[in-house]
Amino acid sequence: MKKIINAPENYTDDMLRGIYAAHPEVKYVNNDLRCYCTAKKVPGKVAIVTGGGTGHLPLFLGYVGEGLLDGCGVGSVFQSPSPEQVYEISKEVDAGAGVLYLYGNYTGDIMTFDMAAEMCEMDDIKTQSIVGADDVNSGAPEIRRGVAGIFFMYKAAGAKAAQMGDLDAVHAAAQKAKEATRTVGFALTPCVIPEVGKANFSLGENEMAMGMGIHGEPGIWNGPIKTSKEIAEESLKTLLDDMPVAAGEEVAVLINGLGATSIEELYILSNDVSSILKEKGISIYRTYVGEYATSMEMAGASISLCKVDSELKDWIDYPVNTPFYCQR
Amino acid sequence: MERITAKELPGLFQAAADQMAAHAGELGEMDAELGDGDLGLTMEKGFGSLPEVARDLTGEPVGKAIMKAGMKLSSVIPSTMGFLMSSGLMTGGKAVGDAESIGSKEYADFLEGFAAGIVKRGKCKPGERTVLDAIHPAAERAASLLAENPGASLPKVAAAAEQAAKDGVEATREMEPVYGKAAVHKAAAVGKIDQGACAGWYLLQAFNSFIQGS
Repeated sequence: MKKIINAPENYTDDMLRGIYAAHPEVKYVNNDLRCYCTAKKVPGKVAIVTGGGTGHLPLFLGYVGEGLLDGCGVGSVFQSPSPEQVYEISKEVDAGAGVLYLYGNYTGDIMTFDMAAEMCEMDDIKTQSIVGADDVNSGAPEIRRGVAGIFFMYKAAGAKAAQMGDLDAVHAAAQKAKEATRTVGFALTPCVIPEVGKANFSLGENEMAMGMGIHGEPGIWNGPIKTSKEIAEESLKTLLDDMPVAAGEEVAVLINGLGATSIEELYILSNDVSSILKEKGISIYRTYVGEYATSMEMAGASISLCKVDSELKDWIDYPVNTPFYCQR
Repeated sequence: MERITAKELPGLFQAAADQMAAHAGELGEMDAELGDGDLGLTMEKGFGSLPEVARDLTGEPVGKAIMKAGMKLSSVIPSTMGFLMSSGLMTGGKAVGDAESIGSKEYADFLEGFAAGIVKRGKCKPGERTVLDAIHPAAERAASLLAENPGASLPKVAAAAEQAAKDGVEATREMEPVYGKAAVHKAAAVGKIDQGACAGWYLLQAFNSFIQGS
């Protein structure tokens, strides 16, 4: 392990101290660094709270800010936040219109948010929940893991809430983005959990893992690394088999780096993705290339497609501003 | 011991803490084969925190004190197994209601509530190779023993429940995993006991030893 840290057990809290020191537009409540909230509460707006383990920046807390989310429960590396933390955040960010819980489809996180929702109910804070479950290679639709595609759910729900939609409408916006979004990911090298100190899987020098999850969950095949074009072809086939997009229809594309892959490589991949989509007559409404959901220093990438209509386009275009992400 | 009041809870949880600490390495090794490998540490840390929590709750009705301890557990170990144990204690404590103390009937209610809490949180059923496969048979055995013999003592019910949990753990060898990493490596799980069920048995074993007064 070679990391810029002071002590493995302080990885999450030292990171949070750095974020609060750098960005006054966010704060924490209940005297707990891991109860991360916007400092700019909007009266009457539906609040959106997310959460999950550390190790995926800018996911999850990086999307707390104007036009997006209001709070985030921060767990240790790859661990859930606690129900109490999510409850304390909910109490802080609720502006009278209720709270939407929007997070990834992982057992621990589901339990956290369900328990927090029960605590909120006792305080008469309305909540609704929805999970991102976009990783096509991780199984049947209802058990799929949530990965980078949650970005489009954040955009849709965030825009709807900023436009002062009610809790049902904000939930419906997230649901619409969820139904329109699919992701395929692949890893080239593992990452190291600081407190563990060594990688939890290994890949040969010339190997890649297709379908691997953002915590190193096994994928669908491990084998010799392919070219960018071949990877794009296989990924798009998987995506489009699962969510058909006809010629003439439009998609937003998210090319996401997992942490150690260069932005240059992401653009090489993006070029291949756009060529294949063009050949199929599918129009690209907007392309995002960069790091949106990482796995610390894992090398690899994911490709997400969001099939857009005029409503989704408006939500995707809605301006946002957070310490980690700005779109004008 | 015939009845447990809130004053005995620190001792009861200390027994659980000692038991989990004694088996942390073993649970960790079992978990490393089929899960994350952190089960032993999680259980040791979680139950290790409860005696102190319970010392601040000795003025509360015993059921409510267990409920609050359960709530605390979810903050100390926010993980799947932590949440299942937390929900079990919370719902189990709730099932004890306003009773002054826990006797044989309340202990059976507690176990039934514990199982119900796991079902609610984990959305799991018996036979799916989880902690429920230790707790559910224990709750059933306690209830059936009391149905046959309403005068059964607390030590008798606690011992029967522990034996049923132990048998339940054995039965997981033949169960196919539905959840977690074990579900991905189904073949590796066959013939082995489920580590989560094993942790559930150790908990009831600790409770039983405390109740027997050993």
